[in-house]
This record gives sequence, C-alpha cells and structure tokens, in this order.
Amino acid sequence: MPTHTPRFPDLLFGPAALLRRWEDLLMAHLTGEGYQELHPSLIMRDPADPRAVRFFDGDHLVGLRWDFTEALARTLVRRFQEPPPRLCYAGPVFRTPSQPWDPVERFEVGCERLLEDPGARGEADHELARLFMAVPGLLGLEGCLLHLGDTALLRRPLEAERVDPALGAELARVLDRKALHRAADLLEGHPARERLLAHAQALLAGPDGIRSLDALALSPYAALLETERAQLASMHARLSAVLPPGLTFRLDLSDLRGLGFYTGPTLRLWAPGAQRELAAGGRYDDLYPKLGKPWYAAGFCVRLTTLLELGAQA
Amino acid sequence: MNEKPLLIALPKGRLEDELLPRLRGTAFELDATALKTRQLRIPMAGSGLSAILLKGADLPRYVAGGVAALGIVGSDILDECPVDLLELRDLGFGACRLSLCGPAGTTLDDLRALPHLRLATKFQNATERWLRQEGITAELVPLQSSVELAPVLGLADAIVDLVQSGGTLRAHNLAEIVTFGKATARLVACRGLYLSEPERIGQLAGALAQLLT
Repeated sequence: MPTHTPRFPDLLFGPAALLRRWEDLLMAHLTGEGYQELHPSLIMRDPADPRAVRFFDGDHLVGLRWDFTEALARTLVRRFQEPPPRLCYAGPVFRTPSQPWDPVERFEVGCERLLEDPGARGEADHELARLFMAVPGLLGLEGCLLHLGDTALLRRPLEAERVDPALGAELARVLDRKALHRAADLLEGHPARERLLAHAQALLAGPDGIRSLDALALSPYAALLETERAQLASMHARLSAVLPPGLTFRLDLSDLRGLGFYTGPTLRLWAPGAQRELAAGGRYDDLYPKLGKPWYAAGFCVRLTTLLELGAQA
Repeated sequence: MNEKPLLIALPKGRLEDELLPRLRGTAFELDATALKTRQLRIPMAGSGLSAILLKGADLPRYVAGGVAALGIVGSDILDECPVDLLELRDLGFGACRLSLCGPAGTTLDDLRALPHLRLATKFQNATERWLRQEGITAELVPLQSSVELAPVLGLADAIVDLVQSGGTLRAHNLAEIVTFGKATARLVACRGLYLSEPERIGQLAGALAQLLT
C-alpha cells in the first residue's frame, strides 16, 4: 500500500481533544472582544486559484476554499454592502505549504478587522496586536518571541526604482531566506543595484529591539520610508508598554514574506523549537479593493497545526 | 529556552574534503576517533556541539526539518531542493561551474540541430530553467551518479553537470560546451530554530561563517 505525506491529516483522540480545547480558548478570547464568528463553507463555487484542490459537483467545477483569507473575502463582498467590522473563525483551512511535506489542510483560529475609514487603521492594528500578544498566555506557551515587520520597507523602494515585479518577488524571496549574496547576483547589471543592496543590508541587520530602526536610518531609502519608520517606532513603543510577561518583542525588518499580499505592519509569533510561526498576520489593504470593495483589512491566524506538531500542552 | 545540544549537518564527499581541514583547531573540529567509527553524531570540540555527516542531497531536509540547526551544503543542491530554510552566507569554497558538456568538439548548434536531444543530469531544475531561457527542447535523463558515462555509453547526447577541474570530463573525452551556473558552499539554518533562538544559533552561525570565509 503506498504511503503519502499527510496533506489532509486525521486527528485522533488526544490531539483532537487538544485542538478543541485550544479552539474554545481562542474563540472565547476573540468573541469576548466583540469579534463575530463566521463558518463559511469548505467548498468554493468559483475556485479561481489553480493551486486549489478542485473537483466536480455534478456538472460544476468546485474546490476547497483556498487560500482561506481570499476565499473568506469573496464571501463577504458577496454578502455585505458594508464591512462587518470584526470577524473570527475556527476550523480547517487549506493553504499553500511552505515545505513539501507540510499538510495542506491545517487547523486555525483567526480573526479579521475590516474598516471603511483609512484613518482608523492605526487603532485597528493596535487592537489586533493586543489580541495577538495574548495568544501565548492563553495557550500556556513560554519563551515565545513576537516579531514585528513591515513588507512596505521593501515594496516602496522597489516601486521607486521601478523594479520589474518578477525580479522584485524573487528579491523578496531571497531576502526572506536572508541570502544577501543571492540578492547581489539577482541585481547584477540593474541600475539601482548598489542602492538596493545597501537597503537590503539594513533590512537584514537582524531581529532586534528599537535599534533595528537605526540601521534603517542608514539606508539610501531612509527618507522614502520615514512614514513606515515612524509607524514601526510608534507600534514598538505602544506594544512594549503592554507586553505580557514572558514574551520577547523584536523588530524584524527582514520579515518580507507575503510581499504581494501584506501592505503594512506584520506580526509573527515564534516559539522555541517550532519549525514555523505559531501565529501570523498583518495589514492587507489591497485585498478587498481587488474584489470591488473599498475596505481596509487586517487580521491574523493562530496555526494550531504547528502547535500540535510542537507537542505543546495547554 | 531550549538548551539541548546543537547539531550541525556537514556534507560528505567533495565539500567535506575542503571543509574538515578548515575546522581543525577550532570549536567546530570533529572528534577524530568518532570520525573513524560508524558513530552517527560526531562530537565537536566545542561544548554542546556535534555534527552529522550527510549526503548533500539529504542535508537540506535535515536542516529544514529542524534536526540540525545549521548546515553546510552546495548551492547546486539548494537550487534543486524546494525546502524552506535560511541561506545565511556564501562561504566561497568548493567553487564549481554548472556546465553543458558533450563529446569533445561538439557545439551548442550541433545539439540544437538534433531532432531529439537527450540530456543526462542530476540538476533537473537548473537544466530546465536554462533550457527554457535558451528555447531548447530536450528530454532530461535523470541520473544520480557518474553522469559522464551517459554520453560515452549512448544513454544521452550530452550532460549537465558540475565541473571543478575538468579532469573527469577529459578522462571520458568530454568537454564543456556552455557554462550557465556556478556553485559554492553555503551556510544554511533552520528558519524556525534560527528565529526562535536568535542569540544562541545566530552567534554560532556568525562564528562558523567567520571561520569559513
């Protein structure tokens, strides 16, 4: 009998009970803060993403909802004239794996904050960050690290230098791997090579405290990124003031994952020994306008599958 | 924080020969007695450090899977291996060229003119990328070792392989036709371990990089 990587895992007994317990804890946390639960269908009627698992329902091609955030957004724009401000969900979602052996079906609890007023984004980001920071305590995790980043730190210089989007995406990919030498190869012959490499060096200075922003001040794009720099400094100060005990907070300017998706600050939660982040999220203001609604969005998800792999005991 | 001993994955073969002498007399030196045995984890001179020697093709998986916190592997392997890990430094040594090679005297135009070009290689991703870039259609013949035998014995018309000195090619009456890539040793790290224990693993990676570059 052939064996396959468990892309669609079965949880039996202990892990299933743990999952239910974590879901209940996190959903109580979110609904207690006014987030309303949604439970969209697992099936999408318009599986546009070619990576989706697709199949026929009679004569109609349907697919598992993929990627969840966008699938949820498609549902919301169909069903609501005005954005429901606070949403949360729990259950299986389907996402592109980062490693070939990762499961495609994962168990998550997540939330989303939607706005029509761009001026309210700062407060919304702070609200989400507070909720995010409470996650390790709720799950009984110790020694976690919270990383704050902003993909705009690379996107804006790329736009200013009119870098081809494919080259920009590849540059983000190699910098996300912290491979400055690959960036140097990629930019060979590009007129902005020296400036972009100096900037990349500033971004890769390493996750650290507020001092990371000093390295950014030395970037050739320091003036261009003054708004982002001030925003990160402000978020750092506000979040540091309410940081739960046992959680270490770092600025990670090299967190460039999701360059094509995130438009503002991003948060990631790491735990010792975990192969991937336990929770991740950020601001993605381009998603709803692409679907025809002038809404601003941010959110995060807690990756309970990763927690199960870690063998944590809440 | 998790303070269990750290494992460093080191490559067997070509890179091993260049790497091990560079580690002598440092915290990363491998225990000579253990090296001579079939011991799996080889203690290093530094406290809490041990090494595992792996085939290059297997090494990225051990690092990406968090078994080893750090590793040293050729960039040729990384380019073929779709795993998520951090590539912290180009260590510069073990330099090779990735080349299209064929029987001495063969040109690229000769190969383009073939109705059914067969290329034997261990490097399918890199070869496919180059073929697309050049607009060449070819059948790839995937092989794991002694690729240079393929054109000699008629399994393929040419090969794509790593070339260091060219001695193996000459011994089989083969020659480089086009060079389209390069490979060197890289210091890699497990993303999760590196980001969740930055002080411990970052310092170790820094020391190893400084030693080897």
